[in-house]
Amino acid sequence: MAVRIGLNQVRFTALHAVGLVTLLSGILSFLVISQATRELGRIGATDLIGTLIVVAIVRELGPLITALVVAGRSGTAIAAELATNQVLGEVRALEGMGIDPKQYLVLPRFAGSLISMFTLLVVFDLVAVLAGFAATSLNGMSGARYFDIVLTSLSARDVWLTVLKALAFGFIVGVVPSYFGLSVRRAPTEIPIAASRAVVSAIVGIFLCSALFVAFG
Amino acid sequence: MTHPLVFERVPLGRASHAFSLEIPAHHTVAVLGDEDSGVGMLGGYALGLDRPPAGRALAFDTEVATLPEPERLAFRRRVGYLPAGEGLLQNLSLRDNVALPLRFGSGASPKDIDGRVSVMLTAVRLAAVGQLRPAQANEEERRRAALARAMAFDPTLLVLEQPFDGLTARVASELLELARGGESAQGARRTIFITGQEIPPLLLRRVEQVYRLTRAGLLEPETV
Repeated sequence: MAVRIGLNQVRFTALHAVGLVTLLSGILSFLVISQATRELGRIGATDLIGTLIVVAIVRELGPLITALVVAGRSGTAIAAELATNQVLGEVRALEGMGIDPKQYLVLPRFAGSLISMFTLLVVFDLVAVLAGFAATSLNGMSGARYFDIVLTSLSARDVWLTVLKALAFGFIVGVVPSYFGLSVRRAPTEIPIAASRAVVSAIVGIFLCSALFVAFG
Repeated sequence: MTHPLVFERVPLGRASHAFSLEIPAHHTVAVLGDEDSGVGMLGGYALGLDRPPAGRALAFDTEVATLPEPERLAFRRRVGYLPAGEGLLQNLSLRDNVALPLRFGSGASPKDIDGRVSVMLTAVRLAAVGQLRPAQANEEERRRAALARAMAFDPTLLVLEQPFDGLTARVASELLELARGGESAQGARRTIFITGQEIPPLLLRRVEQVYRLTRAGLLEPETV
């Protein structure tokens, strides 16, 4: 049953958000790279497009925007669902049956958030690189040159930092809304408040975490 | 012989007298009271879901609320619990709700659990509607499912909170018989502790002791 909850979480958090993430990533990358190709072309610095793609989009904006999408969609859902569980007395009933609510309710959602955040980030970065390719092609750069400068700019450190960010942001999106959802006591009017607080806190957490990665990464 | 459930000087609500009661084995005991009498807190104290501010509640000589969390959770599998409002998980069918404690708290194989759940559902007359979600079932079906879930581990002690509210006397009587689990030489097979505001008069002859909790916290034997 916990596995089923986890799979549902992945389906809702990751699969249902693929379209939105693809759209955001594609538009963002296309706009940024189109403008950059033109401007950098004037000063003969098109090699910097690789750095722009890797550092700005893949490493920084990719995790950040993906986390905001996941926090906005799934963070609200997790907080509201757990708050409803609490209000309906389901959490107390689970404890009364000898089932740890953290194990049954939180852990599958936490695991689902981690998996979803990671897979959505992979989708975001792939789409961003492909949209960058489309943007540079329209501005006269060959595909071979584009992929050459992108791959030259990409280091193993960038990959690890991106993966670590995905895990850190997935952790925040899994834990913060769960905390606020389970903090509700008995009144149904507390549910929207919990959902709102959960998302705001998760977003603040994501930005703070992102800043820490920049400062110490 | 020790009592399966004991309350020792537990303060309830704003009552001036602390609450003390011993529930003898194989007995069905009901404590009734107004909502502000604090009667609704007794089930939570018995299972260690809440900790009384003073005094203690002992189930099988154990103060459950003081146990470390893993032991506390494990201990509760020895006690069947039907909370007020049933507490059925809305995203699971009635059948899955009954199976839930077995899937998490027993080492039985999925096939054995399915078999046990089928037997339980048949016993509480839910075999035909086991696939319904709680929101699709009526109050009586939800109560039957909650009772089946409370009895999943075949506990010797059952704590039932407002188990008969909203049910007809006939259904309430049937559920009480199921909860008692048959008769032995000492009385019912299970010890049952019921809390609530009222129980149907028809049930009083099947309950060995019925007390009414006054707002001052005093227990008065209910007269039939």
